[in-house]
Amino acid sequence: MKITKEIIERIEGEATLELEWDNEQVTFAKIKFFNYRGIEEILKKRPLLDALALTPRVCGICSHSHAIASVLAIESIFENQGESLHVSQKANDIREIALNAEKIHNHIKWYFFSILPELKRVADPTYHGNAYKEKQWFQAQNAIMESLKMGAHFTGQWPHGSFVMAGGVTCDPLQSDVVSAIGCLDSVISFCEEHFYGMPLEEFLSFDSALQVMSVPSALSYGIDEMLKQGFDRLGRSYDRFLALGKSYMYEGSLKASKTAVLGADVKYVQESLEHTFFEDKHKGYTYSKSAQYKKSYCEVGPLARLMVAKEPLMRDFHRRFKDAALTRVVARAVECAHLIARTKQLLSKLNLKEPSFYPPKKDIHSLSGEGVGIIEAPRGTLIHQVDVRNGVIELYNIITPTVWNLGNGNRENPSTAQKAIIGLNSFTKADFILKSFDVCSVCTTQ
Amino acid sequence: MKHKSTIVWLQGLTCNGNSHSFLNYPQMPSFASSFEMIYHPLICGAQSFSTVLESNEHFDFLIIEGALSHDERLLQRFGIPFYEILDNFAKRAKHIICAGSCASFGGIFRLRDPEKITGALFSGKEKGGYWLEKSNVVNIPGCPLHPRWLVETLFALRDRDTLLLDEFLRPKEVFAYLAHHGCLRNEYFEWKVDSKQLGEKEGCLFYEHGCQGPMSHANCNKILWNGVSSKTRAGSPCLGCTEFDFPRRALFETQKNMSLPQTPFGISKRAYYTVAGVAKSFKIERLEKKLIDENH
Repeated sequence: MKITKEIIERIEGEATLELEWDNEQVTFAKIKFFNYRGIEEILKKRPLLDALALTPRVCGICSHSHAIASVLAIESIFENQGESLHVSQKANDIREIALNAEKIHNHIKWYFFSILPELKRVADPTYHGNAYKEKQWFQAQNAIMESLKMGAHFTGQWPHGSFVMAGGVTCDPLQSDVVSAIGCLDSVISFCEEHFYGMPLEEFLSFDSALQVMSVPSALSYGIDEMLKQGFDRLGRSYDRFLALGKSYMYEGSLKASKTAVLGADVKYVQESLEHTFFEDKHKGYTYSKSAQYKKSYCEVGPLARLMVAKEPLMRDFHRRFKDAALTRVVARAVECAHLIARTKQLLSKLNLKEPSFYPPKKDIHSLSGEGVGIIEAPRGTLIHQVDVRNGVIELYNIITPTVWNLGNGNRENPSTAQKAIIGLNSFTKADFILKSFDVCSVCTTQ
Repeated sequence: MKHKSTIVWLQGLTCNGNSHSFLNYPQMPSFASSFEMIYHPLICGAQSFSTVLESNEHFDFLIIEGALSHDERLLQRFGIPFYEILDNFAKRAKHIICAGSCASFGGIFRLRDPEKITGALFSGKEKGGYWLEKSNVVNIPGCPLHPRWLVETLFALRDRDTLLLDEFLRPKEVFAYLAHHGCLRNEYFEWKVDSKQLGEKEGCLFYEHGCQGPMSHANCNKILWNGVSSKTRAGSPCLGCTEFDFPRRALFETQKNMSLPQTPFGISKRAYYTVAGVAKSFKIERLEKKLIDENH
């Protein structure tokens, strides 16, 4: 048996992929994350609201996501202690706009900065990437910036804005902010129509067949062609099991899907495991990434999971053809991006600025004791914050990130989602791409 | 035409926030015409990490993002102890730029193990971090740093011989200002009108909500974030993220002594409280009302 170890670069942070080979085929994979920072430990014994400022620092690419998960966790403590906080529709809409800004930016950044160069590199190993060299890179960078600027009208800044508070949001925007934010979003739409989808957004969103997407020249159809050439329409398949515990306008409640069958889900069945980590065994452990399971099963989280539980017609067609292959996973981010843009435009145009931004809780936060959970759908999938507080001071803070769902480590008998997708491959290059198809975030994982 | 200045970007213990903040730089084509990114961990650079590590070539800028440590159990990259990489790169760099509060002072991640996790030349306020001394280091703190702070510093070092720095090695053009300057709530601060509650445009966040604007050096309310806003404009207190003591405890509360808040930077306590008392005695009707009042 041959074992190879390779560092995975150009992801958020860095990972090592250790592959076991037999007859030129991968028989098992270990996904290792290092450089642990310990935000959960740092939060212990600090005042509860500090979590709103510190958890965004878990990750420079999904800081709003952590802020929102954190505020939901705090609000749920109030709820569990008998005070149901009133959060206005306006505040909820602003939270969703901010979260969408982050997701839209993430998906464009990932596709144009990571996936396209990776596909070119798979085809031509001498290719060094497109950063600063190609016009489209600058156009994508501009679209990313505009998406974040749209959100910054409400969040003050990105990354690491702190605009949420238990009971609402802190901003009190004017109509002029909304007009300017819509202007930013419109320039993101122009970029996507011209480059990403090659057609008007509305037309793209009306599709229910993969062939319709593939027939129009665009960055997306180019990527699909390249993935078909490399066989990524068959490679990278995992359990075909999906989970989306956070809320979305596209579906009701928390859901899971096994292939195309969708059922209700509940966070109480989530289990986090320390197996294979340095936390459990300093010597035998090999990663800082915990792993998460739902009813003892590994499930995929992220855009593909969200669109599968939402029974989105276009994604269903891709899935009918390619199952949960790498290609389907990549396309899901592009499809979700289109939906998010349309949804955000709608939210901005109907935002009711007359409502209050914030209703202060009656209970003094310094007297608050109890437990709370905040669950949201972050760019890469379900993100859970759990907090236990005594007299306003954090006793325990636990974060379950999307990467932990997709890229934690299971065993040979029961490999995790990404491990399952990698086992059976015949080259490192392919394994590297499959791993990246999950939009790996090492910094979130080793928070 | 001048040759392009070369950059190698290295990450220590980080959330990648400074890298992503940098990608918000609005005039990126202009930046790219003057600088070449030889290596960056996220963006495809001109060379691979191993090529840079194995070469002996010198480069103009080493940008460090993230807190640093000599302990390889706490920090390694590519399976190599971090100190080996950093020492190798540092020797070959003309200038070393600490991008963000972690690389400058240790930042948030220093809190887990302040003995072993530090900034490059400082550990919090104390001199002596990863290095005891080094003459070519510039600190650009902030959690994260503003993309303009980084790019404008790079241009200054490239095109001018001197860059004025303060006692914490921060460029004065950015850090001579306070986050307070340009804050839209300044008039409420002057007349001591508190923000009654969050979620409103009116009132100052300094008295009850922990705002560090009058004590934090940075021009963010002058140049704004993402070109449009700032924490205080979005109704959230400044967290003081450019200072050596970031993050303080109880970030959303104003620490008080005998019910008086900390004094703003550079003012004597006695004088401040006297002036504040006088200011508070005025009742300015305009500042007691909503800024945009539908009924009048």
